[in-house]
Amino acid sequence: MTFGLACCAIEMMATAMARFDIDRFGAGIFRATPRQSDLMIVAGTVTKKMAPTVVTLYEQMPSPKWVIALGNCAISGGPFVFEGQYNLVEGVDLLIPVDVYVPGCPPRPEGLLEGLMKIEEKITGKRRFPVPDKRW
Amino acid sequence: MVEIEELKRLFPRAEIAEIPYEERGYHLSIAVEKGDIPDVADTFAKKGCYLFDLFCVDYLDFLELVYFFNNHSAPYRIKVTTKLDPEQPTAPSISRIFTIAHWYEREIHEFFGVFFEGHPNLTYLFLHEGIDFYPLRKKQVKVSEEDKKRLMPKPPGEEEDTFFINLGPQHPSTHGVLRVILKMDGEYILWAEPVLGYLHRMHEKMAENRTYQQFLPNPGRMDYMGALNFNLAHVKAVEKLCGIEVPERAEYVRTITCELNRIGSHLLWLGAFLADLGGLTPFLYVFDDREQVLDILEAVTGSRLTYSYFRFGGLYNDVDGEFIEKTKRFIERLRGRFDMYNRLITGNVIFINRVKGVGIMDEALIRRYGSSGPVIRSTGLPYDIRKKEPYAAYRDIDFEIPTGVNGDNMDRYMIRLKEMEISLNIIEEAINRLPDGPYRAEKLPKKLKPPKGDLLSTVESPRGELGVYIVSDETEIPYRMRWRVPSYSNLMTFPELARGCLIADAIAILGSYDIVVPEIDR
Amino acid sequence: MTDVLKIAVEAIGQDTLRVILGLIGVLILVVINALMLTWAERKVAGHMQRRIAAKEVGPFGLIQPIADSLKLLGKELITPMKVDRVLYFLAPVICFIPVLVSFVVIPFGEGLQVRDINVGILVILAFSSLSVLSIFIAGWGSNNKYSLIGAARSVAQNIAYEVPLLLSLLIVVIMVGSLSLKDIVEAQKGMWFILYQPIAFLIYFIAGVAETNRTPFDLPEAESELVAGFHTEYSGMRFAIFFLAEYTNIMIISAVATTFFLGGYLGPYLPGIVWFLIKTYFLVFVILWFRWTFPRVRFDQLLNFSWKILIPVSFINLIVTGGILKL
Repeated sequence: MTFGLACCAIEMMATAMARFDIDRFGAGIFRATPRQSDLMIVAGTVTKKMAPTVVTLYEQMPSPKWVIALGNCAISGGPFVFEGQYNLVEGVDLLIPVDVYVPGCPPRPEGLLEGLMKIEEKITGKRRFPVPDKRW
Repeated sequence: MVEIEELKRLFPRAEIAEIPYEERGYHLSIAVEKGDIPDVADTFAKKGCYLFDLFCVDYLDFLELVYFFNNHSAPYRIKVTTKLDPEQPTAPSISRIFTIAHWYEREIHEFFGVFFEGHPNLTYLFLHEGIDFYPLRKKQVKVSEEDKKRLMPKPPGEEEDTFFINLGPQHPSTHGVLRVILKMDGEYILWAEPVLGYLHRMHEKMAENRTYQQFLPNPGRMDYMGALNFNLAHVKAVEKLCGIEVPERAEYVRTITCELNRIGSHLLWLGAFLADLGGLTPFLYVFDDREQVLDILEAVTGSRLTYSYFRFGGLYNDVDGEFIEKTKRFIERLRGRFDMYNRLITGNVIFINRVKGVGIMDEALIRRYGSSGPVIRSTGLPYDIRKKEPYAAYRDIDFEIPTGVNGDNMDRYMIRLKEMEISLNIIEEAINRLPDGPYRAEKLPKKLKPPKGDLLSTVESPRGELGVYIVSDETEIPYRMRWRVPSYSNLMTFPELARGCLIADAIAILGSYDIVVPEIDR
Repeated sequence: MTDVLKIAVEAIGQDTLRVILGLIGVLILVVINALMLTWAERKVAGHMQRRIAAKEVGPFGLIQPIADSLKLLGKELITPMKVDRVLYFLAPVICFIPVLVSFVVIPFGEGLQVRDINVGILVILAFSSLSVLSIFIAGWGSNNKYSLIGAARSVAQNIAYEVPLLLSLLIVVIMVGSLSLKDIVEAQKGMWFILYQPIAFLIYFIAGVAETNRTPFDLPEAESELVAGFHTEYSGMRFAIFFLAEYTNIMIISAVATTFFLGGYLGPYLPGIVWFLIKTYFLVFVILWFRWTFPRVRFDQLLNFSWKILIPVSFINLIVTGGILKL
């Protein structure tokens, strides 16, 4: 589901493009309507004004459904948290259950792909690719 | 255009002072009584000026409304200020003279609690019901019951044969989380209104909470597409404020990287615009090129998107031979690609029919809204800050400004394509002239404590005229930092252009602005 | 064993058995075709966009559509609160039946036809018009403004493009003098009709793309405008049925074009069905190609194009052809 909120949305688009090509894993069809989505990628800052919409969209998705919190903003509010802030939801997991967190500001496309692999691992219990050498 | 003697005659009560432009970024300062504001605005409107910015500063003893006027032919920035009582702040509205003031005044109302007399609709624009104080006031001031009533959005009335559509906040072609309320008669739009604030990340409030250095990462996150340009605007403003000299080499590298960033931004716009029109394939082609830009920039800045490469007095690190080599190769590559884009897109009959004669703008409209960037160059105004108020290395480099004739979507498309070519020329020229030397000023103070005063700094971002206004109070923390963003005034022309359009055209118009929502919401 | 079969055949009647077997065959074909086309679409899109597209699931990603459809089967079926329940449930069903029936009369090869009806083309046209009804019902029943606009667009579009589509087919019918698809194919033994009637073929193909709601005429589901158009509120298997119907429609439009203009199953050396499938899937590929190349037309341009250009041209074409045949 295309749910680009902020900066991370651009990286999410980049993931779908020729270089990273998320469609290789069959995850390339971004649907615009929540009714036809399985995975919600919350890509960006969730503000208090946006929060009710996020919840509604999540509830409109048919289960089984998964959520990736993409980027620091969606995880914890990221760089925009400060004392006296008045318009930020500090982490989308306060609103909806999140399955995989992908940190970064913004995360690189590889990060999102890895997040996708993690979702797969969560569903099937198996990892698609071997874990890279620890030295790196 | 604007003569001081004449102004003195017209407004005898006003305090008029000439300001050294090189130091402060504007030419003239006028302090007036609040009752005179409509007259002043009217005078400038007749002189062909546009409202560059309108905002408020809270000085505790009084609130100061700041109006910035400028004109498109020769830059002459005029700051008009007026003092308001902090207990019961009221001011006359100038939304009838400059339409963009309608939106700025709504913003000031919800952030400072200033009531504008004669304003038709002072409801929430950025904020929402949950916030019961005025966020940008220095002392916390509760929103009064009376004001709360005023701020509540009025439900639009349904009529026979019409219905309302909520375009967004989650919609595939609003480029983020913009919401536009459309009143439709079948396929035709009768009335449109943007609702902002779904990505209001409090950048202006954050600036008042941290030092100048700590604010460095923020501008790049305001406009993630033209991050370096925003970064540059901030850095440039603080450098001017503290009187830091920037080495020549840094200026040139700034120019090169900013132009690369501009190309990246325009490329993405090109793809997104075509996607709005229903053609999905060009999106992937432009990303192919854009990845090359990102590679080059990543090598020097260390980030793919939200750059924070410039430092006060120079750069984060120096560029090397590899960067130059890669950039040169990229220039060659992209030059060869324009031909392909022209064959793929420009010549397509469906494309031409979709964009030609749609969303026509004229100069009068531009003046009322203070729009900028490729949007106004499409009407034939050769207005570009890089040329009119040159900064960085743009003063040494000669380049042309592409302009359109009709001010329609086609012109905006052609201008952006042309601008990319010109950016390539600028980069090439800058690389050829790139001087040796230090990339960062030596002897920088550890703590930046700029002298008291205010300053305006402007930069041409990929979307248009970007302004930073800083008020300093001799501490490490800015007293007020105001960001004047180009997308804001560009977007606000949308209700006027969309009226009477088909919904498909409206989306094409929205796409042609190249808006970035986090920039508008700040 | 053979005796049992013989008795069974005699009991049911050979003709009925043929229809039953044919329907089963058609059903299998429809499903496999749709699965293959979703895969093909992704691959075509991928390669046109300089990427490889699905490749991880199965060889060349061939298992991908099966995995996707299994996933869709397992999804929760949401019925939104404010929908018109009867219409909402009915729409996918109405959407799917006509596409099934249309296959009954199409000659896939010599003798490979479920039923040769002497008004074959009328059956196809009559039933394909039904799919508009289903789109309209879906849009109206969903109680969603985007769906409704999509449905309204779809109706206007289909009415506008049905006319040139019929007119261009009528030319061939006049030339052959029969409505039976088999006769039409047999009449092309000497020369394909595309060579006699290139304009009619072009008009038919354009109108056909419009009938299937594909880019550049995908206004009913214009993603950048109407989110997902008429099926915005549909999820899971119901959405899958719409998808299935869309791809089957593409197949039908191409199959009819093959039958009418490209000589159907006729061709040297290879068996008829192979020729038929080659020609059909080539046209299908062209339709996919359109989608990933063109931007979308605007609503008024779409209607103007049909009423002001396609329909007059097809009328002139019809009159001229009729005149020549009379001489």
